[in-house]
Amino acid sequence: MADKEATVYIVDVGKSMGERRNGREITDLEWAMQYVWDRITSTVATGRKTAMLGVIGLKTNGTNNELQDDSHFSNISVFSEIKQFLMPDLRQLKDEIKPSSTDKGDAISALILAIQMIITHCKKLKWKRKIVLITNGLGRISDENVDDIVSKVEEDSTELVILGPDFDDSEYGVKEEEKDPRKAENEALLRSLSEQCGGVFGTLEQAVSEMVIPRVKAVRPIASFKGFLQLGNPHDYDTAVRIPVERYPRTMVAKAPSASQFVLRSDLAAGQEGPDSITTIPETQPEDGNPLTSVRNLRTYQVSDENAPGGKIDIEREDLAKGYEYGRTAVHISETDENITALETEAALELIGFIQAERYDRYMHMSNTNILIAQRPNDKTSLALSSFIHALFELESYAVARLVTKENKPPLLVLLAPSIEPEYECLLEVQLPFAEDIRTYRFPPLDKVITVSGKVVTEHRNLPNDDLQDALDRYVDSMELMDKDEDGDLSEAPFPIEDSFSPVLHRINAAIRSRAIQPNDPIPPPAKILTQFSQPPEHLLETTQRHLEKLIEVADVKKVPPKAKGRKRAREPEKPLSGLDVDALLSQEKRVKISPNNAIPEFKQTLALAENIETTKDAVKQMRSIIEDQIRHSLGDANYDRVTEGLGVMREELISYEEPGLYNEFLKDLKEKILKERLGGDRRELWWLVKRSKLGLIDQRQSELSDITEEQAKAFLSAQ
Amino acid sequence: MCEQGYKSVRDAVLFAIEVSDSMLQPRPSKDPKKSSQESPATAALKCAYHLMQQRIISNPHDMIGVLFYGTKLSKFYDEDENSRGDLSYPHCYLFTDLDIPSAHEVLELRSLVEDEDKVQNVLMPSDENVSMANVLFCANQIFTSKAPNFLSRRLFIVTDNDNPHGDNKALRSAATVRAKDLYDLGVIIELFPISQLNQEFDTSKFYDDIIYKASPMDPEAPSYLKPDSKTAEAQDGISLLNNLLSSINSRSVPRRALVSNISLELGPNFKISVSGYLLFKRQEPARSCFVWLGGEKPQIAKGVTTQIADDTARTIEKWEIRKAYRFGGDQVSFTPEEQKGLRDFGEPVIRIIGFKPLSELPFWANVKHPVFIYPSEEDYVGSTRVFSALYQKLLRDKKVALVWYIARKAAGPVLGAMMAGEEKVDEDGVQKFPPGLWIIPLPFADDVRQNPEATIQVAPEPLIDQMRTIIQQLQLPKGVYDPQKYPNPSLQWHYRILQALALDEDLPEKPEDKTLPKYRQIDKRAGDYVLSWADELEKQYATISATSGPKTTLAKRPAKDKGAADKAGPPAKKAKADGSNAGNIQAEVQSHYQKGTLSKLTVATLKEYLTSLGRSAAGKKADLVERVEELLEAK
Repeated sequence: MADKEATVYIVDVGKSMGERRNGREITDLEWAMQYVWDRITSTVATGRKTAMLGVIGLKTNGTNNELQDDSHFSNISVFSEIKQFLMPDLRQLKDEIKPSSTDKGDAISALILAIQMIITHCKKLKWKRKIVLITNGLGRISDENVDDIVSKVEEDSTELVILGPDFDDSEYGVKEEEKDPRKAENEALLRSLSEQCGGVFGTLEQAVSEMVIPRVKAVRPIASFKGFLQLGNPHDYDTAVRIPVERYPRTMVAKAPSASQFVLRSDLAAGQEGPDSITTIPETQPEDGNPLTSVRNLRTYQVSDENAPGGKIDIEREDLAKGYEYGRTAVHISETDENITALETEAALELIGFIQAERYDRYMHMSNTNILIAQRPNDKTSLALSSFIHALFELESYAVARLVTKENKPPLLVLLAPSIEPEYECLLEVQLPFAEDIRTYRFPPLDKVITVSGKVVTEHRNLPNDDLQDALDRYVDSMELMDKDEDGDLSEAPFPIEDSFSPVLHRINAAIRSRAIQPNDPIPPPAKILTQFSQPPEHLLETTQRHLEKLIEVADVKKVPPKAKGRKRAREPEKPLSGLDVDALLSQEKRVKISPNNAIPEFKQTLALAENIETTKDAVKQMRSIIEDQIRHSLGDANYDRVTEGLGVMREELISYEEPGLYNEFLKDLKEKILKERLGGDRRELWWLVKRSKLGLIDQRQSELSDITEEQAKAFLSAQ
Repeated sequence: MCEQGYKSVRDAVLFAIEVSDSMLQPRPSKDPKKSSQESPATAALKCAYHLMQQRIISNPHDMIGVLFYGTKLSKFYDEDENSRGDLSYPHCYLFTDLDIPSAHEVLELRSLVEDEDKVQNVLMPSDENVSMANVLFCANQIFTSKAPNFLSRRLFIVTDNDNPHGDNKALRSAATVRAKDLYDLGVIIELFPISQLNQEFDTSKFYDDIIYKASPMDPEAPSYLKPDSKTAEAQDGISLLNNLLSSINSRSVPRRALVSNISLELGPNFKISVSGYLLFKRQEPARSCFVWLGGEKPQIAKGVTTQIADDTARTIEKWEIRKAYRFGGDQVSFTPEEQKGLRDFGEPVIRIIGFKPLSELPFWANVKHPVFIYPSEEDYVGSTRVFSALYQKLLRDKKVALVWYIARKAAGPVLGAMMAGEEKVDEDGVQKFPPGLWIIPLPFADDVRQNPEATIQVAPEPLIDQMRTIIQQLQLPKGVYDPQKYPNPSLQWHYRILQALALDEDLPEKPEDKTLPKYRQIDKRAGDYVLSWADELEKQYATISATSGPKTTLAKRPAKDKGAADKAGPPAKKAKADGSNAGNIQAEVQSHYQKGTLSKLTVATLKEYLTSLGRSAAGKKADLVERVEELLEAK
């Protein structure tokens, strides 16, 4: 559990905050609120009930606070007491934050009020306390009671942050010219206050600019295994060793928040018609809150039954037993045998053997990584594990081990590597593949070409010649990622892990927060920092330019024009390994008619041998009647896969032979026949299948010769 | 754009096994100790059986079938010798129809493998020659009717006859035409040739006219991979079987790209095309399903999901659904376009940002399995030679490229380290790992966890020296990890049990678990060294606790831990590095057990005892006591 948090934001909403200064396009208040909204929404985003906050307005027109009887506290209003912030609170706060018509109101008094609010709320309990004050430093600030504030802030170890537009900050490099003397005085006062109680005093510009650096959520480490690192079997052998260890994640992918499904509430949905209106959120919020209602999944179960109408009957969930598929056989497992297929195991991390680090291929890493440390706190264990870590390190070895994290969990094979840092030692652990996890796809060698006859060739258009290899070598060497230190010397930079941020995660979080405060604004583009590694660094590009140009020249890579892909007319006919001209044999054979049981090959061959358009047209006509017959005689959906295949082949072939019209004409006719139930009854499921398989009309994007536009093709599929 | 989007992404394999006198002739092993009667035909059957079992686990929706040809008997669906009229495919015997195998078919194939009599019956060679054209057309018809619209259909021909039709031109050209039909249908023929005892299998005599260079599905499959030469040469049955197995294994799954023809951008304005493949993927047991027992035989119930609105339970159409995120107790919603846009960081690409030495890549910088990359000439002619140059450079200099990788439009970008992997082959020259590049996805800052605090006590040299000896004693063969030697024990057990249940057999007693350490060997090879290390540990520990305080990232620990560890004292001749009071606990639990007063022990003690034995420590006290009792009873 994370600590309880209470934060009070004091926002200066004085008249002067409503002005635009120093050439900025937004008012000081809008600028300040960028920072405040960012902080508040990131707290709201955690969804934690114990992350609370309150907001005080400084220099408000009216006065509304518990100390308002004292005139020192006038023009200060509590916008929100300390509580968990939810969407309605955000909306309300948005309405209240507006520049006032006064510049009266004392920042120090507001601080006292904030301290008071925290004391009232948190009492003496353990809370993380924080006060954030944002003011432009104009107006009167009294320096009475400053010492009391300091002692109180220190006593409760409250974190104090004071920010302001155009506050001078020599470290960050902001200095306001011709500063109002009153502001200078106030800045000095606030700075000394903040320094006295160990707080932060800064300029708003820095705070806002740092907002774009995503905040990484720290996760408290939780052990995923506590048990023994074992060598040998302690049940049977006296020579077995057991070292108690704990396992913690080293890497774990931080998931972006996931969206849930909603629909408009049924009473509101009634007014909606069709898919067109879905993108417009109703302008007016219904008075009784949320316009959306959640979606529930209702699961029903069916089995096939030849005697039932439709071939299927519904079964209640209670009447079903648990089981597994073994091939196409259903294997039922009774409740008492529920765990019968689970392998019995005992929790342990057992060493299998050791391998050479240099002979391990890094790409075999299968998972996220974990660390193993000695059970805490235990000196002897640490000593034992340390000797293991150091011995592995000295031998440049890794250990292969079998890990069962809990009794009866499936065993994992893991690789253990030593990690020794100045103040930290541990084993690093990653999962290895089992035999079943490897797919043996085979690929030809890349440094030589083996011809069909088995001859090894080292000069080939698929192999680089010396010029290309040389140009590439130079280019790669020039693209080495290095860090420049202060003296301009290059040094090896670590992999950019610590300052690379998950683009999707932070993009979505930022979008949600932006939408929450500004529901009607478009989503802002992703922060630049998220795509900083999407391109090579500028300075590298400049220095490597000439190597790249040389490489491009000798590589002589040519883009395949999109149309040439898959065009058949100009292509060589496919030949078997021997190079035998099978087409010649085929043309001798004279297959006059396409036979229904060998339709696809014969259709392809007819097209390949066609000498005029009439032959092609005739082939299409024959296919058409074959496909229609298949539909007509299909028992239920029995032939639908064959029909889909036939249509797919026709579509592909006619695109390649640049006769899209023939396919389109056929499909239009087929659609009509299907919808009018002329092919053996209700065949709408087939049409749905055609749609899903993307077998619609060939449009102009797919074939230039088509007279169907993309929109027409789309409309054709959806129209009933 | 996937051009064959209409196809169903499944694979169908039909074995066509020739039956002839020479195929049935057992090939005795040269090793007199292994007396086996393996013939080429039985070896092929065993392979088919093996593949069938394997695919039930790895590709539960793919089809497999077995067809014999050259048999005396003929069988094709409802046709056989006894049916009226002419046989469509004489001397073709469809033993297992092309389908997802059922338990019954597995059993049938197995009994054919094991039962000699049945083998004699079905596998009786015909006196007449079988027409290859007919065999190929028979296969064609099986594929056309049983596996329409499959993305991948493959015919595995196992034969020792390299010239079935001699000089008969008519038969030869008929076969060639039927082979072209299969090619045009999209069926790939894979030949598994077996040499006869006195003569090598020569593909140029006949099969080079039957088999095509490029696969029709994967025109990018670079050049044709030669069948494994060794398969043809094996003379004795066992090695014949093993060669055939490894050869079939290497083609057991059709090659499917994860991403096809994506751009690999080496620099601005310099792209080549590559395809990505998933060569490592954790294989999990299929999820359990619901079975209906009300019918004649158990049937799998198909779940249908309908979506309803929570307020009025009305059924919802897909277009009505809107995506929203929960935020501050409310929903923040986006239009579907906006929603899609959030994950859109540009077109799919692998863009090289720069290069770094491989040694700089930390061991821990990993989040999941890698993607294998191989060039394709589809979009850019010349891709292969540039890729080859890059591969050779990275391999030679042990460098990696840092890449910005977007696999699909909405996949979200990943930073990856792209490394070269050398081709690896086994003893028989069969490829184990292909040559190419691998993209290792790197963690983002958000994915890196902080190390927890730990007690650090650096071991002194003498202790490390002792441990080093132990490690040196226990090297795995050749000092490498070979995944092929370690089948996943829980996966195998799961399907072993299912098979027994499905076939109504006795349940196997003990699982075969190759991941268990070889305890006897460990004791034999390293036992003495372990004991001497344990002595050293006691010595060093005594010195350390006497002299300096421990180094720790923790605040000061209570002193009583040290005391407890001290009390344990040096064990006589028993290696124990526990350091904790595990010994005491064992004795304590044991004595309470004998007195029958286990329940007097505290929950903490019981838990510690159970955990120390690798048992679950979950549950109430009564459960714990029960579990401890069970354990001690078993002893």
